[in-house]
Amino acid sequence: MRHLFQREWKTLWHSPWQLALVSYIPLMGVLALWWLFSAGLPRQLPVAVVDLDNSQISRMLTRQLSANAVIAPRSYANEASAIEAMRKVEVYGLVVLPYQLKKDLVTSKQPTIDIRYNSQFLLVGKLLSSQLQLSLGEGLTHIGEVNLLLKGANKATVDVSLTPISNQTTALFNRNNNYVGFLVPPILVALWQLLSMLVFVNSVNTELIPQGERNYLAKNFWSTVWVKIVFYSPIMLVHGGFILMWLYHYLGLPIAGSLWLLVLAQVVMLSALWLLVLFIFMVMRDSARVVSFCTALFAPAFAFMGITFPVNDMPLLAQWWRLVMPSSHYIDSHVSVVSYGVGLPHVLLQISSYWGFLLLVPLLYILGRHAQKIPPQVTKTKQINLEVNE
Amino acid sequence: MNFWQLIVAECKAILADKAIVMTLFGGVLFYSVLYPLPYLYQVPTEQQVVVVDHDNSSLSRLVTRHADASAKIKILANVNSIDEAQTWIDQGKAHGLLVIPANFRRDLLLGKGSTLSYGGDASYFLIYSAVAEGLVSAGIDASKQVQLIGLLARGQNPQVAQQAVNSININSVPAFNPSLGYTPYVVPGLFLLILHQTLLIGTGILGAGQWRKPGYWQQVRPVTLVLARLSVFMMIYALFSSFYLGACFYWYNVSVLATVAEVGLFMAPFLLATGSLGIYLSSLFSRREFPTQLYLLISMPILFVSGFVWPIALIPQPLVFASQVIPAVPAIMGMLELNQLGAGWLAVMPNWLQLWGLFAVFVTMAIVAIARKQKDFKLIS
Repeated sequence: MRHLFQREWKTLWHSPWQLALVSYIPLMGVLALWWLFSAGLPRQLPVAVVDLDNSQISRMLTRQLSANAVIAPRSYANEASAIEAMRKVEVYGLVVLPYQLKKDLVTSKQPTIDIRYNSQFLLVGKLLSSQLQLSLGEGLTHIGEVNLLLKGANKATVDVSLTPISNQTTALFNRNNNYVGFLVPPILVALWQLLSMLVFVNSVNTELIPQGERNYLAKNFWSTVWVKIVFYSPIMLVHGGFILMWLYHYLGLPIAGSLWLLVLAQVVMLSALWLLVLFIFMVMRDSARVVSFCTALFAPAFAFMGITFPVNDMPLLAQWWRLVMPSSHYIDSHVSVVSYGVGLPHVLLQISSYWGFLLLVPLLYILGRHAQKIPPQVTKTKQINLEVNE
Repeated sequence: MNFWQLIVAECKAILADKAIVMTLFGGVLFYSVLYPLPYLYQVPTEQQVVVVDHDNSSLSRLVTRHADASAKIKILANVNSIDEAQTWIDQGKAHGLLVIPANFRRDLLLGKGSTLSYGGDASYFLIYSAVAEGLVSAGIDASKQVQLIGLLARGQNPQVAQQAVNSININSVPAFNPSLGYTPYVVPGLFLLILHQTLLIGTGILGAGQWRKPGYWQQVRPVTLVLARLSVFMMIYALFSSFYLGACFYWYNVSVLATVAEVGLFMAPFLLATGSLGIYLSSLFSRREFPTQLYLLISMPILFVSGFVWPIALIPQPLVFASQVIPAVPAIMGMLELNQLGAGWLAVMPNWLQLWGLFAVFVTMAIVAIARKQKDFKLIS
């Protein structure tokens, strides 16, 4: 057993790529992706304001917009140039304060303020839409009050007619809608899954013995697999732990539960990942094809996690496909622990959702038996091949 | 070996390589289905919400019904306390809650005003915004109803009352992706990235397998080889691009505002720059498994730095500058402006010229690198 560990260590030490995958690439990847989103909250997004009225009221509304942290109003002389700017992504939204806005308001003619927001950029568009309406709404309430008083309504009528019901909206668990808290953890988990997959695939690929047309496996294959699991799991867990420490200790993102529960969830996720990779490896038994297939399988993991788009609204096929990916199971536990602060029993319950992966174990045994049966007649040509290759 | 024979040899080399065929043809097809799959229903609807009704009056029930009627919300249950609502959310059964305070109806009728509280699970971005939008609009509806009743009760005539309730219209309309669909938001950028990455992988695997071995690639001039290889990959990718930007965009309801000629003219330098970058980088790989792995790892950063998921204005400047040498970055933004936002050719001219500039640099680097590889090989053999 000990010599197998030494062998694993030697293989790792002599492969610069594998060494990079377990050392600096994860660190660089995690830090680069965090840096990308480090702004956290969308602020000062440029919005075109076309003020056709140029009255006291329209200027007040523009000031109201610039008071909002999300909006950075930019003045445009006419609609055409503002539309042009929106098409060039110089601004993400467009507000038109119509001609005679003030006059219409005072004479109760129900003027319309047009807002266009760029929903091709869904995230920015939705945010701007609500913030623009909120800011303008506040400004207009004040005007509405004056307007009603001018028409001779009494103070009590004015109050009730303007805002009888006030709305208080609370973002639960991620109080200020910080995008680092909501987007970065799943992205990093997807990256971590990719890295772990690659490390394990590269490692098992070295065990292939080419014999004629196909690749086969040595008799002691299973003990080498155990060694690999014991060898690489802690290494990848260190990186998983680094992600957790970076987010919830160094950056101080709020976490309601205990980090240890997440480490436990990561251990189970890695085990499921190893099983899945081994299964694909056994079926394909060709290093380049295993890499290609695993890549294709795990590259879209982030989309299937259900963080950006709710799982309930995915088609059934997508919901099934989602279950194939260990990261989707993990992320459920991650959100429960981080947001809802659930305890061990709940996490264990969630971990039971991995049961399907256990079905792979007997399959692996059968496939493994099959792959270990090296046809004797090709053994000789195999050795010759190896010599030629070297 | 003349140019045409070289082209034929290149085609054969690509088609004979199972890993390339699987990545290019298989991958492009597979990703065109798999990536948009979760978003096929486009808009999140019917998010589960629980209600804590402390008032239990006709009006509070009206608010609940209004909320339930909204397409974005489904009222799951009426629970007794906020703690109980918390349990529902912790167990993942509900994603939002609506709290109606005690004496809600009485206060409103007395003209005192009252506050409705909403909460949405902000661990999930779209769920939160769907819950918030649905509940706020239900609140506004109820609010208008109350305003009207209140004004009429105070003896206003109905016409003036109507007027007071709707004194100003704010007409907020989404532009460019009018359905607010998730697929038209993600697909245009993502598909260009898939084309970019698979092209890099294809040229990478092909080169990584060749440079150390004897073959036709050692016998032709580097310039000829690069031009032939680019031509072959351009032919394949003209096909893939037509499939992605044509059939798939149509299938996924992505808006298309540019003409075919404009799209073709814009794609040309993008594919050329990517292809020559791929050929240059292929000279750096020693084994055939590396290109797929490396390009897989950098695909997420490229996707996020290209500026359609997360606004460019918020990405740190050094990252934005550094990313400009990746052909996908100017190409995704330029293509979005041209094809989805209808900005016109002049607006994307800078991106277009940038892509031609990248092509000029990368193709020179590729030729130099291949010349060096061929020299190394001659020295060994």
